[in-house]
Amino acid sequence: MTIDWWTLGLEAINVAVLVWLLQRFFWNPVSTMLDERRVVAARDLIDAAAKRADADKALAALNAERAGLQQEREAVLAKAAVEADDERVRRLERATEEIAALRAQSEASVAKEKADVHKALQYQAAALAVDIAARLLARIDTASIEAGFLDGLRKQIASLPPWQRQALAGQPLKFISASALTEDEQSDCRRMLDGALGSASDLAFETDPKLIAGFVLDTPNVVIGNSWRDDLDRIRSELTHE
Amino acid sequence: MKSPLSIDVLFHIGPAPITAPVLVTWAIMAFLAGGAWVATRRLSLQPSRFQAFLELIVQTVDDQIRDTMQAEPGPYRAFIGTLFVFIFVANWSELVPGIEPPTAHIETDAALALLVFLAVIYFGVRASGLKGYLKTFASPTPLMIPLNFVESLTRTFSLLVRLFGNVMSGVFVIGIVLSLAGLLVPIPLMALDLLTGAVQAYIFAVLAMVFIAGAISEGRPEKTSDERTTK
Repeated sequence: MTIDWWTLGLEAINVAVLVWLLQRFFWNPVSTMLDERRVVAARDLIDAAAKRADADKALAALNAERAGLQQEREAVLAKAAVEADDERVRRLERATEEIAALRAQSEASVAKEKADVHKALQYQAAALAVDIAARLLARIDTASIEAGFLDGLRKQIASLPPWQRQALAGQPLKFISASALTEDEQSDCRRMLDGALGSASDLAFETDPKLIAGFVLDTPNVVIGNSWRDDLDRIRSELTHE
Repeated sequence: MKSPLSIDVLFHIGPAPITAPVLVTWAIMAFLAGGAWVATRRLSLQPSRFQAFLELIVQTVDDQIRDTMQAEPGPYRAFIGTLFVFIFVANWSELVPGIEPPTAHIETDAALALLVFLAVIYFGVRASGLKGYLKTFASPTPLMIPLNFVESLTRTFSLLVRLFGNVMSGVFVIGIVLSLAGLLVPIPLMALDLLTGAVQAYIFAVLAMVFIAGAISEGRPEKTSDERTTK
């Protein structure tokens, strides 16, 4: 067995060249690509971590903002609830006041209507009573009570102040009676007046059935009456509180 | 039957006889270098399936170097990886009809062992300096210098003999069986020879890593000491 030294040397050179060639065209490019990918992956991981940190910060900020919004919302809701409650109370008070005012106004109106009705009824009742009394009195024979009315008229004239009685003396007077007086009755009346006034008077006799019974002395300054009509009018005034 | 130990000179380039192993080695070089050039023209950060396969090869070699040599694979990747790939392809080149693996000839195996021997020295000196590398022969005592020197030669020789013996024997056996039996009988032996070839490529590469690692690891403490002194 012999060794071909040329072949040995050439093979050594061949393998050495192959080492260089593969280093140049295979091992270095592929390992460089692996390193680049490793670097890119590391950078991407760093970027991803940074982005994640940013995202976490943004999320925290968002959560804080959301919490703030929630608090603000709750505050706004609480404020709105308080305002609504105040407004409700205020409107309730206003409505209560309006209702009370309306009720008072209504009660006053009802009371006024009631008073008016009562007054009207009083008027009607008084008028009816006076009318009834007038009708009943109209059926009575008044001749027997004329003297009483004449005496009452004399007392009224006597109760006048002296200056007023003196002023009546000499003036034209109207002597009104419920029914026409006879000559005697007129003479009695004239005599009573002259006595009461202290002098003769210018007297004229008239008739007014509305008086029912009694007399009225009508002077330019004063009217002096003593009749059932006067009594009934006075009673009606008392009944109607006039 | 032709002896597997004989070598045919095909032609001469000047004074240099070009033999069949050299010619086949050139073809393998062209195939590997051309294939590598074509394969790595369009590398991208988003790998294709083929690029992923290439990266798997590189990553596997790197992992083997890290595990075996306990060192970063950068300086050793090209040498160790090329040794493995070349021996693997050379051993499997017998699949091509009429081609005899270059590693079945002792010259090719001796060349590979010689390169490993030189690489051990180169990486040892590179790691520890010439003085530091030479000091490794005196480890653990100067009495071990002759033994360590002989060991460095014999382990290189063992590389040569192991690879040559395995590949040559496979070719030799297949040739004998082929001359005795029919066409299909050697096929199981050829399959076994392919397996042997792959295993031998792996063993050769691993042993080369172990030898280089021994050279650079022996220099590491001294280098660390120097670094401390420098600081």
